[in-house]
Amino acid sequence: MGKGLIIYIVALCSLALAVNTPTDTGQKLGDVTDGSRAVPVHRMNLYNEQGNTIYEKIFPDDDPLLPFSMRQTCSFCHSYDIIGKGWHFNAIDPNVPPGRPGQPWILVDTRTATQIPLSHRPWPGTFKPRQLGLTHWKFIQYFGRHLPGGGAGELDSDNPDEIFRQDVSGKLEINCMTCHDADPAHDQAESTIQIAHQNLRWAAAATCSFASVTGFARDMPDGYDPFMPEPPQDKKKIPPAVTYSQNTFDDKNRVFFDIVRKIPAERCYFCHSNVDVDDNGAEKWLSDEVVHLAAGLTCVDCHRHGLEHNIIRGYEGEIAHSTNPLVATSTCEGCHTTGRLGAPVPKHPGIPLVHFEKLTCTACHSGPWPEQKTFRTKTSRAHALGTLAARKSPDALPHIAYPVFAEQQGGKIAPHKLFWPAFWAYLEDGIVETIDLETLRQIAGKIIARQRPANPGDWRPISDKQIVEVLKSLSARKSAEGTPVYIAGGKLHSLDEKGRLTGAEHEAAQPYLWPIAHNVRSAAQSLGVKRCEDCHSTDAPFYFGEVAIDSPLASQKDAVKKMVDFQHLNARFVKVFAFTFVFRPWLKVIALASCGLLAAVLLLYALKALACVTRVFVGKRLEDSDLE
Amino acid sequence: MFQTIVLSSFIVVLAGIACHFLISLPKRDDLFGKDRSCKFLDILRIPIYGLTLLLVEQKLNLIGRLRKLLYLLALLCFVILVLNGFYSVLILAEPITGYRIILQTIAGGVFTVCIAILAVMWAYNCRLDKNYWPWLTRLLQHRSKNTTAPEKYELAQKICFWLIILLALPLILSIILSMFTLFGTDGQKCLLHLHRYSALSLALIAIIHTYLLIRTKMGK
Repeated sequence: MGKGLIIYIVALCSLALAVNTPTDTGQKLGDVTDGSRAVPVHRMNLYNEQGNTIYEKIFPDDDPLLPFSMRQTCSFCHSYDIIGKGWHFNAIDPNVPPGRPGQPWILVDTRTATQIPLSHRPWPGTFKPRQLGLTHWKFIQYFGRHLPGGGAGELDSDNPDEIFRQDVSGKLEINCMTCHDADPAHDQAESTIQIAHQNLRWAAAATCSFASVTGFARDMPDGYDPFMPEPPQDKKKIPPAVTYSQNTFDDKNRVFFDIVRKIPAERCYFCHSNVDVDDNGAEKWLSDEVVHLAAGLTCVDCHRHGLEHNIIRGYEGEIAHSTNPLVATSTCEGCHTTGRLGAPVPKHPGIPLVHFEKLTCTACHSGPWPEQKTFRTKTSRAHALGTLAARKSPDALPHIAYPVFAEQQGGKIAPHKLFWPAFWAYLEDGIVETIDLETLRQIAGKIIARQRPANPGDWRPISDKQIVEVLKSLSARKSAEGTPVYIAGGKLHSLDEKGRLTGAEHEAAQPYLWPIAHNVRSAAQSLGVKRCEDCHSTDAPFYFGEVAIDSPLASQKDAVKKMVDFQHLNARFVKVFAFTFVFRPWLKVIALASCGLLAAVLLLYALKALACVTRVFVGKRLEDSDLE
Repeated sequence: MFQTIVLSSFIVVLAGIACHFLISLPKRDDLFGKDRSCKFLDILRIPIYGLTLLLVEQKLNLIGRLRKLLYLLALLCFVILVLNGFYSVLILAEPITGYRIILQTIAGGVFTVCIAILAVMWAYNCRLDKNYWPWLTRLLQHRSKNTTAPEKYELAQKICFWLIILLALPLILSIILSMFTLFGTDGQKCLLHLHRYSALSLALIAIIHTYLLIRTKMGK
C-alpha cells in the first residue's frame, strides 16, 4: 500500500513536471502547437509578480489582493522572454534591425511649440526619447497609453529619483490581453488611466473584465510597499488596489481568459486607428470599412507571427530584415499574384511595366484619392484616440498630412503620412542637439505660453520676435553648447550676427514621413482607373498636389510644398512629360494609320509576288504587265 | 540576356560590314584621285565620302528630293532611336526615363510617319522586277548555277527594304498597342520583348541597308 502510494505520488509529480516545466529544448507547453486548430481554453491560476509558484498564486481571499502578473501567469505555459523580443516590444533593443521607417511617437508640447518624432528605433529623422530628457519611466508616462507593455516599460530606471517610484508603481509588463482578449468587456483604455495614476503593476488587470482597480500609486510615498501596504497617513489618498469580480475564480481558484489566436481587428484598432479631419469629423458611419476586412479577412491574416511575435509588417523588402518565414508571401504581391486567400489577381491592362518599377502597389491602391491639397489626419498613437486623453479637436497637434506621394527607401514612390518637426536645439558642427524638455519649458514656456491657441490643441501662434527672445535666452544659458536654433516649417531658424532671425535649410528640419498602406482601394477605385491623366496631367495632385507646411510661426503660415519635391524628380520634366499626354491620342492615331499604310504596301506587293510565283509553279509564262 | 544579345548582334554585324568593306574596298586612288595630298587622311576621307553619298543629289527631281529628304529624316530619327534606346539597355541597364523618353517618343512618331511614306514611295522601285525574273525562275526551279542578281548589292538592298517594312509593323504596333487597355501585365511584357527584338532586328537590317546603299552609290 505504502509502496504503491509512493509510486503514485512520484508518477503524479513527473507528469506535473512534464507539463509545467521547460522541456529539454526549453520549450513550454504553449510554445508549440500540437496541430489542433481548436482554441485551447485558458482556465488558469493567477500569479502575482513575485513568481509562478504555489506561494505567489492569487486566491480570492488574499489580503492584500494583488494584481495578477502577465509575465508570471502566462509564462507558466509560454516563453515570455521569447515573446518579449517581438516587434511590438523590441524597439529598445539596438540589435533589432529597424526596417522601413514607421510611425514615430510624436511628442507634442504646445507650451514650447514642440512637435518632434521620437523612436527607440534608429529611423532616420527621429530622435531618441533620452535626447529630450525622457527616461524610460517618463516615456511610459507619455506614451504607455498605446503600448502593449514590455520593452521600455519593464526596464529599471537609472534615475535615482525614479527608482523608488518604480518600486511603488511596478513595471509595465506585456499585457497579452491587449491583443489576445476576445472578451467584449476588455477595456484597453483603462490601461491609459492606470498609467496616468502610475499604477503600472495594476494596468493589465484593469483592462480585463473580471478585475477592477482603484487608487493611485502616484499619491503614495516613495517607501510605500504594495505587497505589505500600510494605510496612508493622508486619508484622502487612496492606495492602489485590485478587486476581482464575483465568480471570477472557479472552485479550483482558476480564472477563465477568453483568449484568441486570431486577434479581432478591434483590438488592433486601439493603437492603429486613423481618422480624417474634415467637416464630417470622425463619424465612423460616414467612412467605409477597409476593403480587406469587408472581404472577410482580419488584420492578422496578413500581419502574422509565431511564438516569437516577429509580426509581418507587410512591406516590400521586409525579407531583408525579418526572419518570419511568411514574410515574402505576405505582401500585396504575395497574395495578389497567386490568388492566395481568394485575392483577385490583377491584370493591370494598359499599365506600362515601368510603373511597377517606380511605384509601390500602395501608390495607386492606398489612402484617399489625392486632391489638390493633402488631407489632415489623426492617428491613435499621435492623438491618443480611444482614450480619455484623446485630442478630439480637429486642429489638435500634431498636424499630420496625407497622402504625400514621396520616394521611400528603395526608390519607389509610395503614399506617406507626414508632419513637420518643430523643436528647439543647439547646433554645433552642423549637428543638431535637442534640449531637455523640462529645461525648455522653463525658458521657452514662459515666453510662448503667453499666447493662446486659436483653436483647442492647436499651435500657440508665435512671432519672429518671440523666437528671437527664446533663442537669446537659450544662448545666455551657462551650459549652452553651440548656437541655439529653432526648427519649424522645414527651416532651421537662428540668429545672425546682428541678432536678426534667419531661416536656412537643414536635414533635421526635413519633415518626417512614413509610408501608409491602409485603407486599401480596390482596382475600380485605384489611381489611373479613369485614364493616364489621373497622374500625368500638368496639375495632377499626384505630382503637383500641395503639402501644407505646418509651423507655429506666423511668418510661415500658408506655405506649401509641391508633392513632386518629395519624389526627387525634376518638376519641369514632370510637367513637360505630362504635357505630352495631350498629344498621345494623336500619336496613337498617326502610328496606327502608318501601320495601316505599311500593312497595305506589304499586302499589295506580297499578293503581286504570290501571283508571279504561282504562275511560275503552274508553268505559265509571265507577261511584262505581271511584273509591273 | 537582352544586353548580351544586343551587344553580340551589333558586334557581328559591324564586324561583318567592316570585313566586307575591307575585302571589297574600292581603290582609293579611283575615289579621291592619285595626286591627293596627305594620304594618311584617307581614313577620314572614306567615311565623309560615304556620308556625302547619302545627301540629296542636285540632279534629283522634286519628288526624288522629297523622297531623299524623308529618307534622311527617317535615318536621323533612326539614329536617335537606336542611340537613345540601346544606350539605356546597354549602358544604364534600365528603362528609358526622363527627357530621353520624350525624345524617344517624338523621334519614334516622326520615324513612323517617315517609314510609312517611304514604304509607299520606295515600294515600287524595290520590287523584284523583270530584271530579276530569270534569276527568280532559276531559283524557284532549284537551279543553283548563275543565280546572281543583275546589279551588285541591289538584291540585298531590296530584301533589306522589305524586311525593314516588315519589322516596322511589330515595332510600331507593339508600343502603340501597349498604350491601350488591351494587354495585362503579361501581355505588356510580351509586347515589350517584341518591341525590343524587332527594334534590334530593324536596327541591324537598317545598318546593313545603309551600308549597301552607300556601296551602291560608290559603285556608280
